[in-house]
Amino acid sequence: MTANGWRDDGAGSDGSSDAADDAGGDGGSDDDGSGSDRVRVGVDVGGTFTDVVSVREGAVHVEKTPSTPENPAEGAVTGLAAASDAAGFAPGAVSFLSHGTTVATNAVLEGEWADAALVTNEGFRDVLEIGRQARPDIYDFDAEKPEPVVPRNRRVEVPGRLDERGAVLDPLDEDAVRAVGRELAADEGVDSVAVSLLYSFEDDSHERRVADLLRAAGVDAPVSLSSDVLPEIREYERTLATALNAALVPVMADYLAGLEARVREFGVDSGLRLMGSGGGLLAADTARERPVETLLSGPAAGVRGASFVAEQCGLADALTMDMGGTSCDVSLVRGGEPVVATDVAVGDYAVGVPTVDVHAVGSGGGSVAWVDDGGALHVGPKSAGADPGPVCYGRGGGRPTTTDAHYLLGRIDPDRFLADDLGADEAAVREAFAPVCDHLGATPEDAARGVLDVANANLRRALREVSVERGHDPRSFALVAFGGAGPLHACRLAADLGMPRVVVPRAAGVLSALGLLVSDVLHDHGVSRVRRVEDISPDVVTGAFAGLREDAVDRLADEGVPPARRRFERRADLRYAGQSFDLSVPVPDGDLDESAVGSLVERFHDRHAERYGHADRGEPVELVTLRLRARGVVDPPAFDPPAAGTTAADAIRAERPVAFDGTVAETPIYDRSRLPAGASVDGPAVVEDDATTVVVHPGQTADVDDHGHLVVDTDGGEA
Amino acid sequence: MVDAVTLEVVRNACESIAEEMNADLVRTGYSPNIKERRDCSTALFDADGDLVAQAETMPVHLGAMPFSVAAAVDAFDGDLAPGDAVLLNDPFRGGAHLPDLTLVSPVYAEPESGGSDPELVAYAANRAHHADVGGSTAGSVAADSTEIYQEGLRIPPVKLVEGGEVDEDVLALLLANTRTPDERRGDVRAQRAANETARERVHDLLDEHGAGGLAAAFDEIQDYSERRMRAELRELPDGAFSFADVLDSDGRGATDLPVEAAVTVDGDEVSVDFAGSAPQTEGPVNAVFAVTASATYYAVRCVTDPGIPPNAGCYRPVAIDAPERSIVNPEPPAAVVGGNLETSQRVTDVVLGAFAEAVPDRVPAAGQGTMNNVTFGGTDPRNGEPYAFYETEGGGFGGRPEGDGLDAVHVHMSNTMNTPVEVLETAYPLRVRAYALRPDSGGAGASRGGLGLRRDVEVRDHEARFSLLADRHRNAPYGLAGGEPGTRGEVLAFEDGEYGADGHDGEDDEDEHGERLPEKCVRVLSPGTVVSIRTPGGGGHGDPGERDADAVCRDLALGKLTREYVREHHPGVLDDDAGGRHNTDGEADE
Repeated sequence: MTANGWRDDGAGSDGSSDAADDAGGDGGSDDDGSGSDRVRVGVDVGGTFTDVVSVREGAVHVEKTPSTPENPAEGAVTGLAAASDAAGFAPGAVSFLSHGTTVATNAVLEGEWADAALVTNEGFRDVLEIGRQARPDIYDFDAEKPEPVVPRNRRVEVPGRLDERGAVLDPLDEDAVRAVGRELAADEGVDSVAVSLLYSFEDDSHERRVADLLRAAGVDAPVSLSSDVLPEIREYERTLATALNAALVPVMADYLAGLEARVREFGVDSGLRLMGSGGGLLAADTARERPVETLLSGPAAGVRGASFVAEQCGLADALTMDMGGTSCDVSLVRGGEPVVATDVAVGDYAVGVPTVDVHAVGSGGGSVAWVDDGGALHVGPKSAGADPGPVCYGRGGGRPTTTDAHYLLGRIDPDRFLADDLGADEAAVREAFAPVCDHLGATPEDAARGVLDVANANLRRALREVSVERGHDPRSFALVAFGGAGPLHACRLAADLGMPRVVVPRAAGVLSALGLLVSDVLHDHGVSRVRRVEDISPDVVTGAFAGLREDAVDRLADEGVPPARRRFERRADLRYAGQSFDLSVPVPDGDLDESAVGSLVERFHDRHAERYGHADRGEPVELVTLRLRARGVVDPPAFDPPAAGTTAADAIRAERPVAFDGTVAETPIYDRSRLPAGASVDGPAVVEDDATTVVVHPGQTADVDDHGHLVVDTDGGEA
Repeated sequence: MVDAVTLEVVRNACESIAEEMNADLVRTGYSPNIKERRDCSTALFDADGDLVAQAETMPVHLGAMPFSVAAAVDAFDGDLAPGDAVLLNDPFRGGAHLPDLTLVSPVYAEPESGGSDPELVAYAANRAHHADVGGSTAGSVAADSTEIYQEGLRIPPVKLVEGGEVDEDVLALLLANTRTPDERRGDVRAQRAANETARERVHDLLDEHGAGGLAAAFDEIQDYSERRMRAELRELPDGAFSFADVLDSDGRGATDLPVEAAVTVDGDEVSVDFAGSAPQTEGPVNAVFAVTASATYYAVRCVTDPGIPPNAGCYRPVAIDAPERSIVNPEPPAAVVGGNLETSQRVTDVVLGAFAEAVPDRVPAAGQGTMNNVTFGGTDPRNGEPYAFYETEGGGFGGRPEGDGLDAVHVHMSNTMNTPVEVLETAYPLRVRAYALRPDSGGAGASRGGLGLRRDVEVRDHEARFSLLADRHRNAPYGLAGGEPGTRGEVLAFEDGEYGADGHDGEDDEDEHGERLPEKCVRVLSPGTVVSIRTPGGGGHGDPGERDADAVCRDLALGKLTREYVREHHPGVLDDDAGGRHNTDGEADE
């Protein structure tokens, strides 16, 4: 494998690097990520568009081509070829290729995955189907439980049982496993096998033995072990993750085989990385083994792009909103890192693997406004989508949308989105708003304001859910807004929520693709060791971390990350004995002694007081899970500064009346591409670029920073 | 006049307040019952004490909390001030059963300049199930109590907080009467924090809308739900519909206790009368009126549009009558802990059963109809510390007009999460031997009833106290529209060594050694005893003869049904001439 993109200069080794272990990889030093003429490319395949961002010598090129949902690899390579033509780089010059994909996501949403079997303990084959017993909706009799990933008749039990410390209660019945192996080998309907045994996180030897025996019995389908996929306590969540992984392995293998062949054929030999759900890159081989780690690949890339932009602006804490035509993804970045959760829902399934905590709300530019029988005005979740789209796009849409509301208020110029020269049909938009106007007894402009108020109420609620409900005060966060519709709403939302700043990234339309270029390789390793802290020998912790580190080093080496680029962060999840909510505290490097363990407990009490408002220093504390995050550091590419030699006034392309709260003001419309660094724009103003429109309200000020990002002082925050 | 935009914006904000209160309570709460099982609820009320918005969590709490606010207002009429909070759990004055502690806080507008009295604008309230409030047994869910005095500390509405300061005397009295005072202190603190959150958010709304504007919006939110509810009720056929069922027992020897509902739909209103229900019982299965009302509101909400925002407006067209001194409206000093847990389920069953006559296409057959409350307690031989483990078990949901009942879920008035096997075994000296669906337990029908589940728990190396509070062991969950009843629940105890080699194959066929336990009992279990809890299946819906043969064969292939069950309930499916295909599909066939 010729994985490159690494600068092996040992610089910046402030973490614990792993210079002693130079296994594998070519230590590629032919791309320092900024200065050579090598090209770095990110390809983000979305539902409608495939975005390709390439960077060569600081010059950024963006290419948008249609996606090909029936065969996404085709669209990806078409986009790559288009970028190569337009930006003028040879395929062979590509030194780094990373990819965001919805292949695994779509397989889950549509249930179109491989037929898997599950091998588990005697007495427990139904764990996967029972779940946690809560029903999907309290009042809706029509709500359904998620279909079990593996049907009951392909869930087989084998005798053999460990206890909660990993000691053998009943030995594994190897003959029974062999018999199961022969059965599965003969079953042509089984394309993949999951093995999930109780307490495999304490001791994986039964699971590994099962895998060996299955293979010896003739099973040639891939085998996923729960001790590999998610070695953590809670049998349902672990089994679900393992079963999902098994069902996705063949899907991902097919996809990657096709994509890699096409990419090579095209002439790119840099190897391929995929964005993982946790916000870091994975080698293609890792994604092949652990497709369950790519379920939120696309949204994670967007959040990663947003966190990179926030950091460039000197903002470590940010809420992010990615608002497209149908929905809006909101997420939270803390200390420069996207916050991950272990219960993020993908379709009907809550996935236990660490995943960027993205919350989707059915509110987008195409969301339709409607009045219900009781007389309330709603916006969404139904969307006019891209086709026919909002009325003002003139493609046959007849129902009023949030985009149409912006249009009526003068905030967007639909001519920029129209393929022909007919211009927007204002009369049609006014007609579409008639039912809403009638109901409200309002003018179309007031009705449009009302529609936006309702849409913003939905968005505000979503932003509060990922911040306030998780214990974070939005007033100390910036709002990073992207996607086609995000910057239309962001400045008003931020002011309402008391957030002092909005950042609209320079690449607001392709931020996910940008995120692919600025992500580190990240692998999260963890192992549960549930026991009271006072009962733990420090050697057990040291030993467990050593095991995790060994796995992590192997995986980084396999992915070609040179030793000087490796960083490791250790954490321990602790809780009060008998409680069920863990808190994670950092663990310093090196071997642990009694006093180091003691200081972990102190840190836990502090963190508990900070997060939950109280700590009980007399209560016994329990260790739950040890975690190691392994990082292969990527230097983000440098980008050329924005336009120079112009002034803000030069960038005004027009003036038109725009309606704000209660006022209509003659408002300058700025061409963002002509706004130089340092330019300052006072609201009311509208700033347009190819992908999006920023509405700056009266009293707010937007500044262009050195990176070309638009930073808006919202006049609503404390800072 | 509140316009449609303000309605939607303020309604969203109010629901968001209730959800933030709930997130706060779960986040800062102390006990696992609140943090892990989420046995708590939060809501916002207007200045009249009428419900404006709630967080959708525990059904049995939700319809009952307005009674708490009313009781708090009654007790301190005109005598509440900013910074006060009223605590209560008395089932006969605004509570449901003693473990549920409810905290009600008035919210005032900041005083206008000029020094007039602060204006009351709202109430915030939350309810949390506390793991112990004293009484005769740890956990305060005793299956054998006969008076409320045995069930724990009874708290009438009292000011826990006055002018922002906690009354330490009241708190001390509470903490002195529980087995786990630190936990209680932590949970009560979280309950205060949740109402504080609501107060701050209501002040944000006041800044935007003013007291008058907010009051008008609160009214419109309720009127809006009332309009939608009345429109839904108008769609129901007028008439009188009734249904009767029974509760197995009261745990003190009385059996087959009737619970009856007569539902009258008249235009856009509905009334429910529980005349004919059993007199109040000696054992602890009495459901106070607030619980009966809550279960009724739940049923009404399910048969109308569940998307109607739940608030007082929804319930204005619903009238409820429950005879005094009855199992659905007892008077003190009745024991009530199981009224909230078990009788509430039967109330739901009969109200839904009556609605089934009116709108047969909207009502499922009976679900498991119990919460299967189990408590194990003793001394953990691994560390010598006392422990108490309480959980409830899911079972079958009733077969639905348009689909099979869900397998192994909490039904109707409950919706808590289970305790993972690995968490349970690590924390307590118990071993789970099997955790499985219960084949054949769903009632046959065109739509099959959901399967119950089976959880076999072994007591490891010590003697344990076991308490069971369950139902539907004597009387099966009913089928509807020709569907057959679900299988009754049962709990068997196998002494050390009796639990057979096939004991955990998930089938119910090795019972000969086990002792069948009464559905409400307290027992001492010897070391090594395995308790096998088998929860009821849901009733079937529609004629079993109309069940799609492919669906029968799929269930057979999945092992959810046995061949015996299929032969008995779906004759012809396996034996007819087309059976070759079916036999192939049903791979359990020989």
